Amino acid sequence: MAEVKLRNIKKSFDEVEVIHGVDLEIKDQEFVVFVGPSGCGKSTLLRMIAGLEDITAGEIYIGDTYVNDLHPADRGAAMVFQSYALYPHMSVRENIGFGLKLNKVPKAEIQRKVAEAAKILKIEELLDRRPGQLSGGQRQRVAIGRTIVREPSVFLFDEPLSNLDAALRVQMRMELEKLHANLKTTMIYVTHDQVEAMTMADRIFILNDGYVEQVGTPLELYRKPANIFVAGFIGSPKMNFLSVKVLQIEGQQITLQLPGEDQMQLQRENINFQAGDILTLGIRPEHFELEQTKGCSLSATVDIIERLGNETYIYANDASDNLLTVVGDGELDVSNNEKIKIYFTTDHCHLFGRDDQSIQ
Amino acid sequence: MKTRALEFQDSLLSLLAITIVLFFIFPLYWGFSTSLRNPLDTFTVTGIGIPWLNFSPTLNNWVSQLEIVEMRNAVVNSVVVSFSTSLLTLCLGVPAAYALARFRFKKISNKDLTVWFLSQRILPPVATVIPFYLTLQFLNLLDTRTGLILINTTFTLPFAVVIMRQAFVDLPVELEEACLMDGANYFTTFSKIALPLCAPALSATSLIIFAFTWNELLFSLVISSKNAITIPMFISGSFESRGVQFWFLSVRTMIAMSIPILIALLAQRYIVRGLTLGAVKG
Repeated sequence: MAEVKLRNIKKSFDEVEVIHGVDLEIKDQEFVVFVGPSGCGKSTLLRMIAGLEDITAGEIYIGDTYVNDLHPADRGAAMVFQSYALYPHMSVRENIGFGLKLNKVPKAEIQRKVAEAAKILKIEELLDRRPGQLSGGQRQRVAIGRTIVREPSVFLFDEPLSNLDAALRVQMRMELEKLHANLKTTMIYVTHDQVEAMTMADRIFILNDGYVEQVGTPLELYRKPANIFVAGFIGSPKMNFLSVKVLQIEGQQITLQLPGEDQMQLQRENINFQAGDILTLGIRPEHFELEQTKGCSLSATVDIIERLGNETYIYANDASDNLLTVVGDGELDVSNNEKIKIYFTTDHCHLFGRDDQSIQ
Repeated sequence: MKTRALEFQDSLLSLLAITIVLFFIFPLYWGFSTSLRNPLDTFTVTGIGIPWLNFSPTLNNWVSQLEIVEMRNAVVNSVVVSFSTSLLTLCLGVPAAYALARFRFKKISNKDLTVWFLSQRILPPVATVIPFYLTLQFLNLLDTRTGLILINTTFTLPFAVVIMRQAFVDLPVELEEACLMDGANYFTTFSKIALPLCAPALSATSLIIFAFTWNELLFSLVISSKNAITIPMFISGSFESRGVQFWFLSVRTMIAMSIPILIALLAQRYIVRGLTLGAVKG
């Protein structure tokens, strides 16, 4: 059980700085997800916490211990690797017990702990097999078992589900959530998959280019993205972005010119722009409606229709040839090249300034 | 189902393979056959020298050769020198290879170090004969097995480093990282994870070093005069005043070849790829 604190962490590979001063605090027993696109530095950050990567500058604390100079094993962290990293020349039993054996734990104790972990993960009948004889999901369980027996104060997961097929991924996701509920330990989970982040995290840290873009609970990030990057990253399908021109500002009332003829009005408190500026308006596909509602509207022409059964994705071009995505219900009656009106309410509009930051 | 054309192609390929194998095995067979013949039969034998059919075999050549003390000494010397060289090379070279594969050196880059190791093999051995002779003379190691072991090791070491470095580089690094996280130090990680998983490369490398040292002639010719004579040197001395005695020469060659072949057959089962399968996503 431990908190994890990072103070102004930087990492450079040769001359190139890839993490630029990250500060973060993870509470005890929290399930935190680092999410971001490939190359954003999330895995590097995790590996620095694990002790597998040198820290160029800054301080890392696990619990109250300053761990910068500690050997990976002395930090009280255990890690599940993306590739599982099971020792191929050892049986499952030996794989799980290897860390205990290295730490000179008595044999009987090792046996007991391995059996216990195997029971939790339902791999009791696999203990005498070699990793080569296991399926992907089973290997994943063994890798998790190897970390459980060490009773770490922090679990680190480096994209552990990315090698599994979709169905298994959903199942393992739920099992990891259960595991977290049972073990009540701090867990840090790295993924590029925003669905994993949204479903599992207590809090999400969104990283981009070595900076933390936003920290918050999944719903906070969904409802109030701090900038265009977060808005575009969280949510599937991706948020629609429109270039809009500020026509008029009256107190907190802003009038915007949408692509084509349509106009709309929005309320904002922090007005740091002038009439004539071009801003970005973000609306999620699921917040577009094709049936007339109160609020604003946009004209568009249907380009492609994808029917998923329970819902329909409509890709339509607006007046300035932006491709908009609309999520509608499964039975939606539209056809290609049809001219449609897209309706939305101002509650669901996100406005971003020229610095890409959200305007509240 | 295979078509006729494919079947024909397959049999043609097999025929070709058999021809090539026969081509390479025949000298071996001829040497063996010669070693069983009376000296008189050496050149007068009929057919392709099949024992009992073309001549009556005898073990006289073998018996007389094995009775020679120098012959027996040469075998012992070769075995000692080759085994010791292999062992010394691996003891020094494998940790160096691991360090090159896994650690980053600051003053000289890993790449430069590797190229430097490789460059040792570019130098023709003959260029080093005189310096080595003088060094061994200074150390009082002329005509000793120790001297031969040292010189052979300097030549096999770069080879071992370069091959084993690649084997370690090819090993998924997560395995060693997982081992570190499990509480191992670098040495345990090396000995418990990296080394066992590189066993096939390790046995291949030691075989090659063994064969290289076993066949080495130049240095033994220069360094050894009486005590440290090796098998290749002994064979090269088969030329006597009566000319080449092919019947004795073939016995010596057979003996010289038998030991490396035996070792290769024994080590064969270790040189099996695929031990790392299933370590990471497979």
